[in-house]
Amino acid sequence: MPTGESNFGAAVWAILCKECQTEWRTRYGLNAALLFALTTLTTVSFAAGRLGDRIDLLSAFLWIVLLFASMASLAHVFVREVDGHTLTFLRLVASPGAIALGKLLFNLLFLLVLEAVTVPLFFILMDAPPPSWGKFIALLGLGSLALAATSTLVGAIIAQTRSRGALFAAVSLPLLLPVMAAAVSGTRNQWQMGSVAPELRLLAGFTAAVLGMSVLLYDHLWND
Amino acid sequence: MILRVLLLVWIAVSLAAGFLLAPLVPGLGPTTRVLYFHIPAAWITVVALAWSMGHSLLYLRSRRMEHDDHAAAAAELGLLFCIVATVSGSMWAKAVWHSYWNWDPRETSIFFLLLIYGAYLALRGSIENDERRARLSAVYSAIAFVTVPFLFFVVPRLYFSLHPDTIINTRGKVDMDPRIRIAFFSMLIGFTGLFFWVLNLKVRLLRLERRRAEQAAA
Repeated sequence: MPTGESNFGAAVWAILCKECQTEWRTRYGLNAALLFALTTLTTVSFAAGRLGDRIDLLSAFLWIVLLFASMASLAHVFVREVDGHTLTFLRLVASPGAIALGKLLFNLLFLLVLEAVTVPLFFILMDAPPPSWGKFIALLGLGSLALAATSTLVGAIIAQTRSRGALFAAVSLPLLLPVMAAAVSGTRNQWQMGSVAPELRLLAGFTAAVLGMSVLLYDHLWND
Repeated sequence: MILRVLLLVWIAVSLAAGFLLAPLVPGLGPTTRVLYFHIPAAWITVVALAWSMGHSLLYLRSRRMEHDDHAAAAAELGLLFCIVATVSGSMWAKAVWHSYWNWDPRETSIFFLLLIYGAYLALRGSIENDERRARLSAVYSAIAFVTVPFLFFVVPRLYFSLHPDTIINTRGKVDMDPRIRIAFFSMLIGFTGLFFWVLNLKVRLLRLERRRAEQAAA
């Protein structure tokens, strides 16, 4: 088992590069997530029309779209390993913490790429008013981090079970409710020119709690 | 045997006291009586959750299956009491606020607990291997343990609440008519006794099943 600081960093970087390469080769996960996001977005836009003045609905829709896309794709990092029987090999060459961090960084990058496409389309299709950019970007960033952290951890759990697809969404949704509540409320507040500090604090605290717990729990996940 | 009978008598007497002796709360009228069921059920939901999560963490530390038995049994009972609390609360809300469900913070919290219990039991149901089931559900329980405070204490500050604050107010005192208070607290004790009694039965059953499986394998 590799030990020491430099090995940890190198392992995380290597895993991140490996995930990016694997994803780029087939792009299954990315395509699925983009399709999910676009389909949800266009369905809502088609059904409800331009909702420029309904910022309460707009903030909810944005985060529902991101949530759906996460549920469709963020578990793949682990499911792919289990299906391809490469998880044992991975555990031999890297510590559980390095695997966890590498995959978390990949999921975060994945979400950011997804948002780079989805968010502009959201503004165009739904005729959303221009946001307070600083607050909006902060909410998107922290919200994505919270989503990625929780989804990666839950993905690691359900990859070892039978009914993964349905189970992933069912099991991660209760944990993600505080994130959704804070993200939607914050997005609405920033459009109303209000303060988003309480929501940002909640998201930051939540992410810290989940990441802290992850550090303690990852060793238990693969102790077969 | 004696304890079981005592529990039955205790609950019966508390119920009788609640319905016959205790007065009605002025604002709530005849619906007052729901508080003898709804609040103890909600209390047991939280107790069961804490018991289940505590034993999950103990399992991760010691890897003894007894802790997993306690965690699973407490979760199943907790789900039952959670459903009782949610349904009774919803009926009470309809009677007093004329709406079955309003996403009031307390309603949101109890619904959230329902989801957590459901997800935990769904996860357990999808794993066949005993040791893996115990380990993975304990990990999930530990994550839920850190996220529950966020929904309980932090989210309500973001929203306005319909819930009556007449019972436990900010001064920390319990503000009830003494007769209601006696009936209520004795129902609370009765429910707690009921929970631990059924929990004990379930845990013993799980232990016996495991012993029988071990003997069959040997």
